[in-house]
Amino acid sequence: MQTTALALAVLGAALLLGGLLSGLDRRLTARLQSRQGPPFTQPFFDVIKLLAKERMVTNPWQAFSPLATLSAAACALLLFAWQGDLLVILFVHMAGGVFLVLGAMASPSPYSQIAGQRELWQMLCCETLLFVMAGALYLTTGSFRVSGAAALGEPLLYRLPLLFAAFLLALTVKMRKSPFDLAGCHHAHQELVRGVFTEYVGPHLGLLEIAHWLEVVLYLAICSLFWATGPWGMILLPLTAFLAVIVLDNVSARLTWRWMLGWGWGAAFVLSAVNLFWLKG
Amino acid sequence: MTIQPGLTGSIFFLSITGSSMTEAILVVLIIVPFFAALACLLIRSTACRACIVIATAAMLAVSSLLLQGPLAPDAGLRWAGLIDPLITGCDFLLLAVMFYLGCRYRHPLIVLLTAGQLGLFVRLEFFVFAKDRGHALFQVDVLSLTLVRVVCLVGGLICLHAIPYMQAHEQHQNPARSRQPQFFALLLLFLGAMNGLVLTNHLAHFYFFFELTTLCSFLLIGHDRSKEAMDNALTALWMNGLGGLLLLFAIQGLYGQSAMLDMTGLAAATAGNQAALLPLSLLLLAAFTKSAQLPWQRWLLGAMVAPTPTSALLHSSTMVKAGVYLALRFAPAFAHTLLAQGLMLAGGFTFLAAAALAIGQRNAKKVLAYSTISNLGLIFACAGIGTPAAVAAAMLLILFHAVSKGLLFLCVGTAEQQVHSRDIEVLRGLCARMPLTGMIAVLAVLTLIVPPFGMLLGKWLVFEAGADHLVFYLMLVLGSSFTLLYWVRLAGTLLASGQVEGFKPERQPLLSRFPLVALACGAVVLALGAPILYGRLLPGGQTWSAGRGGVLTTAVGSFPLDVLFAVAALLGLLALFGVSRAMAGRKAFPYLAGANTRLPDHFVGPMNRPVRAMVENSYLAPFFGEERWTLWVNLAAAGFLLVMLGGALWQ
Repeated sequence: MQTTALALAVLGAALLLGGLLSGLDRRLTARLQSRQGPPFTQPFFDVIKLLAKERMVTNPWQAFSPLATLSAAACALLLFAWQGDLLVILFVHMAGGVFLVLGAMASPSPYSQIAGQRELWQMLCCETLLFVMAGALYLTTGSFRVSGAAALGEPLLYRLPLLFAAFLLALTVKMRKSPFDLAGCHHAHQELVRGVFTEYVGPHLGLLEIAHWLEVVLYLAICSLFWATGPWGMILLPLTAFLAVIVLDNVSARLTWRWMLGWGWGAAFVLSAVNLFWLKG
Repeated sequence: MTIQPGLTGSIFFLSITGSSMTEAILVVLIIVPFFAALACLLIRSTACRACIVIATAAMLAVSSLLLQGPLAPDAGLRWAGLIDPLITGCDFLLLAVMFYLGCRYRHPLIVLLTAGQLGLFVRLEFFVFAKDRGHALFQVDVLSLTLVRVVCLVGGLICLHAIPYMQAHEQHQNPARSRQPQFFALLLLFLGAMNGLVLTNHLAHFYFFFELTTLCSFLLIGHDRSKEAMDNALTALWMNGLGGLLLLFAIQGLYGQSAMLDMTGLAAATAGNQAALLPLSLLLLAAFTKSAQLPWQRWLLGAMVAPTPTSALLHSSTMVKAGVYLALRFAPAFAHTLLAQGLMLAGGFTFLAAAALAIGQRNAKKVLAYSTISNLGLIFACAGIGTPAAVAAAMLLILFHAVSKGLLFLCVGTAEQQVHSRDIEVLRGLCARMPLTGMIAVLAVLTLIVPPFGMLLGKWLVFEAGADHLVFYLMLVLGSSFTLLYWVRLAGTLLASGQVEGFKPERQPLLSRFPLVALACGAVVLALGAPILYGRLLPGGQTWSAGRGGVLTTAVGSFPLDVLFAVAALLGLLALFGVSRAMAGRKAFPYLAGANTRLPDHFVGPMNRPVRAMVENSYLAPFFGEERWTLWVNLAAAGFLLVMLGGALWQ
């Protein structure tokens, strides 16, 4: 009973944090573009409005996918909160991505189909880098459990600087920010409409938005592992990374998926591999 | 006075207890399929054949579940005097048949390889092996039990599925004289051969069963008698013949080291023996050909021309597992050597490269073939890592792979008979046309890539066991990501339909449906029992434990299977509720770059004409195309094999 209450509390906090971060993102982006921007709480109102709308689907799978994506994100986050195995957390998180792509591909709409493929390449980028990070965590702390990072005594960042750079790329991809907002960005004026989200309306879209918040919180939580010596490092490092990604979003244009796979991911993978060998050597 | 048949049966059953009971089970597992095969060949009635196949499958399934290890060391030994000459005789017969086939199809390589085997076999049998072989003839441990149950349960279901499949297949092919008797005879013969292969403890007998599966494979691939089928069957024959020759050389070398043919004894006796590494590396090469590891993948890819039951049974669930079985059986012998390191890297490379090549494929069966090769590579790598945890992980992978992949093959085969194509783009939207088969295929894909299902649990164990070896770990990371990509793309393509109606299963014969549903349930139930299975697969008395309840705990991490299953169950309930609510509401048409027409995938185009919105997957041919990369990948794989051999020679 206590565990359930605690789990709900963690999820509630994550939701609050995710929504506020989304509000911060919108506000900051607006300011960078010389606009006023909405209040910080706007994302909550948006999601509540979406959840209250009529349910409409183009196929049954679309009612299932958002639920699956959301439960995978929530489960991954809870496993993190309970100091679980980073590999398992990544596997569960990956499952959320799988259902997002399946939901997108279940519709014959070309926008959603093409975005589904792109989302797969984006997953390829994120997953490989994070799994290499899990390997690095094991090499430094002797365990795949995230609790190992705090027990280390010094910031992981000192040992994994190159991996941190690679992680920033994964964070940009995950937050769906330029230059890697290929599979669905926040602005509906791109060439793929809203990419993987094109076919969703109302409550289902709302659930996907909540899942996205949770995923961003999970990534920032993973980011905090890089400086897990105390609360300040665990707050400041993810926050800095988050702000850096938003600035990057506003100063860069979208790149093609070829560039993302060829240069972006290629370079990041090499960097993280070099870091791994350096740890061992 | 007449005695009731049932009564005699039970009296017979009661009278055999203990070790003779086990012997009776062994007879059912190995000998009965041969007689059933003979019956299939002689009785040409369709109904009788179906009955024979069903009865054999049921008998094998029950026997495999009744079989318990460990065996008494003398099990079957009193018949050694009979078994030995019989198998030797059959060996000569087998090699003669292969020699004849080589001559008949004018294939010099097969003739040469078979002649080599024949010569070596004569030398070994008559001049080298001493006549006295006082060791256990059979071996029933967790490894062979796992494989026997895979062969009998999954294989049995595939045989059932083959009954309606082959009828439809033959209607389509329309040959002058039905070739189904041969087909089913070979399937059943193969089941017996495979059971013999994993149960025997005698290396020379192992060689016989190894070659027998090769011959079955050849005959089954060539079943349709088309030119393509025959060419590919011959490729399979010569590559596996090479494997057989290598195996014989390995047997010679191993016998030279410790003068015995006891497989488990050999594995223990040659551990730490530097001189045994060369024969062991030949043994691994033989295993590599059997499991179609790079650079010998060509025969398995070609084997996909065979009717789908063949692909499901021989070329994904069972026969190709003979190679990894051999490697795992001898894993203690080369543990912690350079050879093991080489094996790990070669396996890891195959895992990665075959997964990458699968991305570039649009033929569904070839995707399945590459993914099989890739998974077998992972299992070889586990044998290379060699820790108890890795070996147990390998067995879990064998089990879950056999169930899920066999199921996927059956789904693709069932679909292929409806749409007459294996092209993924033609299978697009299968879930609308064949809802049950399509959804089971999607479920099978999910059991391969998503937690809490077993395949991922196995992979997690490999990640944890392999994290100390950096190059291998990176191969694992890349390979897993590629694997995810092609599976999700395949499942997504099957789902892609504009269908808004509810779920109405299509009509299909009971014997087609039952194996599909049974295997799908099996994949889910097995995953639930994974911690128990894992606990059983580990050799006793080590520090690794199955942990509390459903949590699998290792020294460096934990897999909370109970939590994941709870989440999955909760999700299932929510989804039932959510989907039915959504389906009761208003339906919409997809967004297609124009006003919608009444059809789900058409929009109003120029001149007010309906235009079909078409989209195809990207197969990234320049990056992952088979034509472009096969040569380079093969060269690299050959390099890894050389490293492996070099490792053996260096020590």
